[in-house]
Parts: sequence; C-alpha cells; structure tokens
Amino acid sequence: MKEEKQPDGISVHTGFPNPATDTSLRSLDLNQLLIQHSASTYFFRVRGDQWQNDGVFDGDIAIVDRSLDPRKNDTVIWWDEHQDSFAISPYRSMPAGATLWGVISSTIHQFRKINHE
Amino acid sequence: MSKVFALIDCNNFFVSCERLFRPDLETKPVVVLSSGDGCAVARSNEAKALGVPMGAPVFKHRELFEKHHIVKFSANFELYGDISKRITALLATITPRIEIYSVDESFLDLTELPIQDYEAWGRKVRAAIMKDIGIPVSIGVAGSKTLAKLAAEIAKQHTGYRGAFSFIDLAEHRREAALGSMRVEEIWGVGRRLAPKLRSSGISNALALSRMLPRHAQQLMGVHGRQMVSELNGTACLSFTPEHAPAKSILRSRTFGEDTSQVHVLEAAVATLGARAAFSLRKDELLARRIGLFTNTNRNKPGYQRWVREIKLNTPTNDSGYIISTLVDELDEFVSSAQHYHQLGVFLYDLVPQSELQTDLLGYVDTAHHDRAQARMQALDQVNAKWGRGKLYYAAERLSDRWQPKHQIRSPRFVSKWDELPEARIV
Repeated sequence: MKEEKQPDGISVHTGFPNPATDTSLRSLDLNQLLIQHSASTYFFRVRGDQWQNDGVFDGDIAIVDRSLDPRKNDTVIWWDEHQDSFAISPYRSMPAGATLWGVISSTIHQFRKINHE
Repeated sequence: MSKVFALIDCNNFFVSCERLFRPDLETKPVVVLSSGDGCAVARSNEAKALGVPMGAPVFKHRELFEKHHIVKFSANFELYGDISKRITALLATITPRIEIYSVDESFLDLTELPIQDYEAWGRKVRAAIMKDIGIPVSIGVAGSKTLAKLAAEIAKQHTGYRGAFSFIDLAEHRREAALGSMRVEEIWGVGRRLAPKLRSSGISNALALSRMLPRHAQQLMGVHGRQMVSELNGTACLSFTPEHAPAKSILRSRTFGEDTSQVHVLEAAVATLGARAAFSLRKDELLARRIGLFTNTNRNKPGYQRWVREIKLNTPTNDSGYIISTLVDELDEFVSSAQHYHQLGVFLYDLVPQSELQTDLLGYVDTAHHDRAQARMQALDQVNAKWGRGKLYYAAERLSDRWQPKHQIRSPRFVSKWDELPEARIV
C-alpha cells in the first residue's frame, strides 16, 4: 500500500482495496460446517467412556439431525425403554423394536471449555 | 380464483414438546401447568379422557391427579417457543404465505401451489413434521380459514383420516356428514356467548349453521355471523395476513412464587415486567399512549381484591425508565402492607408507530426529551443484544426476586441451555 503525501499534509491511501468489505466473502461459519438442517437439528450430551479410542468422550456434544435417514454405518440415538434413557449405538446394533430418535452427524469435543458466564 | 387454505395444528402442543425428550410418557396422562403452577393449560389425550378439564386448578383435582399418576410439568416456554420456530421454518420451505395464528397453529395459503390431492399432501407434511421435528400435528384444508380449522379438528378426532382432512372437491354426502358431526361449539368464532344462542334457534352442528340463510345469520349474530356462514360454505371472508402484525397492546404479567405484602417486591415486579413490555414495544417500533398496571390477591382465598390503574401520557413513549418510574409511583399510591398480593401485570396500549410521533396541539410534547430517551433506549438495547438479555437493567428490577414464579417441576431447557442438554449413554 502506497501513501502519497499531499501538499496540505493530508495523506491518502491508494493501495489495494480491502477485500473484507466485499460482502460476497464470508468468514468461516461452524454452523455451515456442522448443521445441514437447522430446524431438525438437536444437541445431546454424550455419557460413557467406552468410545474414547474412537475419539468420543464422556461430556462431548452430539449433533443429531432427525431429518436424516439412517444408513448401515451411522451412529444413532434411540430410546431405551428398559433403562428409561436415551442410548447411543451404531444403527446396526440398535435392538429390534427400539424407537429411533435421530442420526448423529457429528460430535464435538472441547479441549478447553469456553466460559459463557 | 377460489382460495385454498391449510391449518397446521399441533396436537396438545406443550405436552408433545415434553414428550419429545421423554418418550417414556408417550402413552401416559400428562398435563402442563401455567406459570405459578396453578392450572392445566395443556393436556394429553389420556389426561382429557380421565376428565381433567382445561384450565383445571391442580388443588381442586388433587385426588384425580394422584389416583391416576398424572404427570405434571411447569410450563417450559423456552422449549415450546423453540420447537414452534422449527415448525414455522419447515412450513416456510413449502410456501412463504404463512400466517402464524398462535404458538401451535399456522395457516398456509395454498391457492397458488400445484397440489392434486390435498389429503395426501397433508399426510406428507404431517409425516415430515413428525420425523424432522418430532411433533404430531393435524392438518385441515378448505376454501376458507374457518372451514380449514374445522377440517383440522375433524382430522384430529378421527384417526381414520391419518391426520389430514380436506373439504376441497369433497363429495356432497361426505361434506354433509363431516359438517354434521361437528358441534357448533367446535366452530372457530362461535364462543361461549353465541353457542347457546344458536342452540336455542335449533342450530346444533356445523351443517345446520352452514345452511342458515345469510340474512338470518346476520340478524342473530351480526356481520360476523353472516361471514361465518359463508366461510362454512367454503367462501373465504376472513383476511389472510402473512406479515408480522404489530401488537395492539402489550401485557406482561406473573403469578408470584409466593404471595407478598412487601412494597419493594412489588416494585421489583413492576420494574422487570415494565422493562420487558417496553422492550417489546421498541422491537415493533411502537410508542404507547396509555400505560397501566394491575395487581390482585389470590382469587381462591377469602377477601379477594383487585386493583387496576391506568395513565394517559401527554407524550407517547417507549422509554423503559419513564414507564417504570411512572408505574412505580402509581403503585405506591395504593399499595398496602396489609394485603397479600398474588399476581401483578403491566400493560401498554393505545399504541402508535414510532414514526408518527405527533405534537399535541398545545405543544406539550417535548421532542428534545423524546430524542434523548430514544438514544438512551437504543444504547440499552444494543448492549443487551450484544452481551445477552438482562445484562444492562434498571436498579429497581433487582430490588428482589421473591416475586419470580417457581418452576419446581419444569423440564430442563433442553434446546436453549448448553448445560441442560438431554443426555444419551453409549451402549
């Protein structure tokens, strides 16, 4: 960027225009990455540490999109009526007769929690 | 071109929202109670079948609740509001011509849409809302809003219709059977006042009302009655207003967590409710010409009393500070430490658009003062928009929180608080 000295001492910037003022450029948005259908997306808190080796930890947040149709390799949330609680498992090991609640599209693990208060 | 409207009506909406995160309650009797946990404001079908009346105060039906293990929830309005917005968002993908009638009912104008079979369309929409959002709805389609509402009610009552019923192109004998099955009390616009009037004229169901001569309907019920008869015959008379209609009046009221005799507790309630009401006013870019407050003792205890005060303002306003101080002054004039106050509300009405601030003829309107207030409110709202609702507040709002309703049996705020998310176990 050049700065030209004007006779009366006022400096004028005549360099490359700031691309950030072009509204067609958007900053990265995590919602866009993680949420395909906002109306059908709900969040759950993951409980249990059996899947640590797969990178899913107790306390992680599961993003659940109810509009997705489950496929063989999906991980899903269903209602476990014997335990009276929601359960997470691969779709293929969901017990027959259990009610599917939704398909998990991602989980979020925070190494450092942001303090919101 | 004749019109086509659909009504999307959520079944026992508040109960359905609670069941979304409590599938174990799917077939159990459930009620949702009003703020202050006084009365049943939503009932599951099972609770209705057990004879829990709408608006039933819990203390009057304690035995019924205990005998049948009826599950009670305090209203969780953050949850219901969020789910309602999701349904609207889904409906908006069908058509932008939506009229949000209430938190659980929306009209769609389908006139321009290329739909062949309205009941099949309705069942598809119903299935999508059930799967994507998790809420059961009933859908009615007809040539008028009144008839669409009746169609949704028919769809809800007769499971054979699988959640959708349409009056469009319906065979005459089926139309007559459907209208004949609906009592006049179930028709939109027939209130508690009109129903006995109709019945004493020998009109007991929707079919009989639809056959009334428009002239007679007008004699009996005024223009409203004439319109109702046309609407029941599938001719749209009521307007469809997709835009957000600005409020005609704003009311913010609460039943206290515990009755109070303390002036500062009442003042805190006035200030908090006044600030919230003024905020809604500014959101709609309105000013109030009249403001007021009411408070009362417990209706169910002896010596019930109610006080209402209203003030006409020289200059219309939406200034929280001015509204709060005016109402607190008003309160202080009649409040007595000998009374046990149970409920309090603040209302703003006679609303005018901000752009229409007119000087009164004698020139009492102080525009310089008005402009300063506007700047102050803008700053207040900007801070709260950026840092969260209630970050900047009037000191009077925090004199006490003892007036706040108790939500002892409210479900977690599953969709609006990160630390209240539903939990799921890895199995």
